[in-house]
Amino acid sequence: MKKHDLISMHDLTVDDIQIYLNTAARVEEIPLKDRFTLLQGKIMASLFFEASTRTRLSFEAAMYRLGGNVIGFAEQAATSISKGESFSDTIHTVENYADVIVIRHPKEGTSRHAAQISYLPVINAGDGTNQHPTQTLLDLYTIVKSFKKIEGLRIAFVGDLKYSRTVHSLLQALIKFRVNEFMLVSPDSLCLPEYLKRIETDFPVTFVETRHLEDAIPYADIIYMTRIQRERFPDQIEYEKVKDSYCLNAKMLKVAQNTLKILHPLPRVNEIAPDVDETPHAEYFQQVKNGLIMRQAILLYVFEVQL
Amino acid sequence: MSNKKIQMIPKIECGIVIDHIPAGDGIRILEILQRDPGLKNVPITFGMNYQSNKLGTKDMLKIQKEDLCERTIQHISLVSPGVTIKRIRNFEVVEKVSIQPPIDLINLLKCLNPGCISQNEPGLKTHFVLSDPENKRVTCVYCEREFFINELSPII
Repeated sequence: MKKHDLISMHDLTVDDIQIYLNTAARVEEIPLKDRFTLLQGKIMASLFFEASTRTRLSFEAAMYRLGGNVIGFAEQAATSISKGESFSDTIHTVENYADVIVIRHPKEGTSRHAAQISYLPVINAGDGTNQHPTQTLLDLYTIVKSFKKIEGLRIAFVGDLKYSRTVHSLLQALIKFRVNEFMLVSPDSLCLPEYLKRIETDFPVTFVETRHLEDAIPYADIIYMTRIQRERFPDQIEYEKVKDSYCLNAKMLKVAQNTLKILHPLPRVNEIAPDVDETPHAEYFQQVKNGLIMRQAILLYVFEVQL
Repeated sequence: MSNKKIQMIPKIECGIVIDHIPAGDGIRILEILQRDPGLKNVPITFGMNYQSNKLGTKDMLKIQKEDLCERTIQHISLVSPGVTIKRIRNFEVVEKVSIQPPIDLINLLKCLNPGCISQNEPGLKTHFVLSDPENKRVTCVYCEREFFINELSPII
């Protein structure tokens, strides 16, 4: 069996992404009771060196839904790394206990390193500020379900565009699907890094940068909101200056297109007011639901289960 | 007086000549040679700003040692791609190659990103790919950040 790692959107072609999207659609068609035996006897190691609610629970729930089992930890303090063990020793130990490794880690490139040294397939559940490919796949799945297409959509990213790995991963994927115009809404200190704007394409890509969320509302088909992440700031004073930069509420959405969808990787703090939840634009809880489906699809692809 | 009539660096009987170095890059290559422990006590002569049909002006280095190690050649290729390395035996050029940077740069440069695993995991070799040779930009395989080569510290 070929080792199927999922480390970065950089590694995936449009065809590869399409396989994940098609598999997820197929998973949804299969009744829950018929999924329970698909990964029976398989064990997933869930190695979360950094706190997570949705991604970890969603992966673990996905594995249980498919009849598999889960071992692992939810924080670094509970591991031998806190006793001084190297990361590579931890991976070489865990690979004796499981069939697939899911890793979240605060350092960038950790999943790539794990995939290089382990004979087991490795899935990146977020590496520092770099990549979050499973979130990107579920975001794409959500977009395709809502709009039946990706190319030609106008997408505004809002909030922390500097540190948000979900923005970095999704932006790269959207460009693969020939999305060629983005609005970037952020405070000056949280702009999208320049290296992410230098993506080689055979078509021009336009980035419209603004500080004002109001500019994005009538413009966009999709507004992708992000949390200003306190934990990513080296200087907490800088965090305090920008933490309340954006707060989207239902009243502001009166000028939006009827078809506008608002996405957010969650957790949110105050960047989306609760009254938005009641509008037809709110799509973020649908993302959570799609995440469970997509992560089942990813696990099935790893184990080459044909549906 | 024409520069051509000036005595160039004296010929060497056996060793390596690094030629066609764009003027100004020679001093940076000399720094690389000084860091190579295999070149300790090896006579090296360095000339600057010679006339060159190809480059206008060029620098040149002559090293009285039979060969250079592969890592040193790779470091030179990063600083000044396209320079010529000539192997000299009995005062004659026996081999001449123009060096280009490798596509995969293994453990040659240190990643600038403090959050990169290559900076934090003992024993892990850094790995960059030459993502934009024209502008001398490389991308870290681990953290996926792109840097100019001259932003990064060499690993000796």
